[in-house]
Amino acid sequence: MDWSILGMWVAAALTLAVFSLLYRDNPFYRAAEHLLVGVSAGYYLVQYFSSGVIRKFYVPVFRQGDLWLLPGGLLGLLILFRLARRTQWISRYAIAFYVAAWSGYLIPSTIQERVLTQVGATLPPALSGAGFGAFLGAFIILVGVVSILIYFYFSAPHTGVLGRISQIGITFLMVGFGASFGYTVMGRVSLLIGRFQFLFQDLPRTLGG
Amino acid sequence: MRARPDTRGRAGRRPFYDLLMNVDRRVIFLVIAAAVALPLVFPLHLPVQISPEARAYFDEIERLQPGDQIILSFDYEPDTMAELDPMSYATLRHAFRKRLSVIALTTYAGGPGIALRVLGETAAEFGQQYGTDYVFLGYNPDYSATILRMGESIQATFPTDHFGTPADSLALLQGIDRYADIELLVSISASALTEYWIIWAGGNYGQRIIAGNSAIQAVLIYPYYDSRQLSGFLGGLKGAAEYEKLIEHEGAGLRGMDAQSMAHLLIVCFIVLGNVGLVMQKLRARGDAAGRAGSAG
Repeated sequence: MDWSILGMWVAAALTLAVFSLLYRDNPFYRAAEHLLVGVSAGYYLVQYFSSGVIRKFYVPVFRQGDLWLLPGGLLGLLILFRLARRTQWISRYAIAFYVAAWSGYLIPSTIQERVLTQVGATLPPALSGAGFGAFLGAFIILVGVVSILIYFYFSAPHTGVLGRISQIGITFLMVGFGASFGYTVMGRVSLLIGRFQFLFQDLPRTLGG
Repeated sequence: MRARPDTRGRAGRRPFYDLLMNVDRRVIFLVIAAAVALPLVFPLHLPVQISPEARAYFDEIERLQPGDQIILSFDYEPDTMAELDPMSYATLRHAFRKRLSVIALTTYAGGPGIALRVLGETAAEFGQQYGTDYVFLGYNPDYSATILRMGESIQATFPTDHFGTPADSLALLQGIDRYADIELLVSISASALTEYWIIWAGGNYGQRIIAGNSAIQAVLIYPYYDSRQLSGFLGGLKGAAEYEKLIEHEGAGLRGMDAQSMAHLLIVCFIVLGNVGLVMQKLRARGDAAGRAGSAG
């Protein structure tokens, strides 16, 4: 028996079961939903345990003798103390270590790459000599950046000049939200297209041999 | 509870704008489904225009020489396969056609199955050998530590590949151990992972990066392309279609573009009709209020 064909049929049936929610809630949708939750929980539990505990801790420490991993592993085990209310406080040492390490290597890099480099890249296109179009585009971006920053300046009332500039900022924000909405629609439609391609193209092709 | 105002006309029929505001959502679902399904069955072959960012993505791979190393990170899970699989397939087809060496990995626990399927199918298509032409390092927990440590040593980050083979015994990884040895890094992502590659691999180690992103993520990625922190990128299924056109291989991206265009056209119509209905209702309510005020005076 070709198990891949059986898998295609199961996938098609589950797709239709999930789509049935669009009409109204029903047992087929519920069954598909519960199946997804159960399968996902099992898969991720095994995957995390295998890749995290076995591959990254058990094998190096107990089979290869990399004992320097032991303190990190023990720190990770402290998380399990969260399971009992009386010992919950012990788990905070592991969380504190993780937060501190993460902050340490994220904050400087983020400020550099997400803030300073972005600020530095606001004007260069206008000065690159790439023509009036590039200059105009860079000028609009500059106006947008400044007016939005002023919109988020809360230490003075948004009246007079400040109010008018922050209104321009709101307009730019709305354009940004519109672009996000458009992309979100595109993303959701793409997911529907993916399922329909499976139902109308892949499934008939596979079953037709 | 206040009763809804009666907006029926003199003949007792509801005006058209009232109907527009009360369309059963299931009718909308059905019309959208038809708009998406019909072009898949009866293709329209609408033209696809190539954007500068998709062209840049293509050029970044095109400029590489046979034997050059690229890292391909599958930074997504099955929920966004419809958008991102076409990008992964097209990228691997392009890379294998140019005889590039591909080091694949995933930063998501749900990624190995996707990576194995896409790698297996494209490698078979081009006769690529595992271990010499491409490798799959698998999933490594904690993407932040993974990305940072790969800058020091790829083989220390992934001591074995996905199948348990020691990394130092893989022919492709001989003499390849850090970003400095990698010509290009490709992140196919549905989350902020592309940004983390840019921050740590790009910012800390100067790694050249291109990315394929889900549509929702794409709007956040544009600034990195404008600032040249990203050398090229594909946004959503449209980006995948553009790239497929550039490599001259029709895949799920190009096949889905007719449906995408029809659905967008329909949604624009819905938005216009909905707003017409809303404006008409408001005008009617304003007129009614003015009429009541006049008769009371």
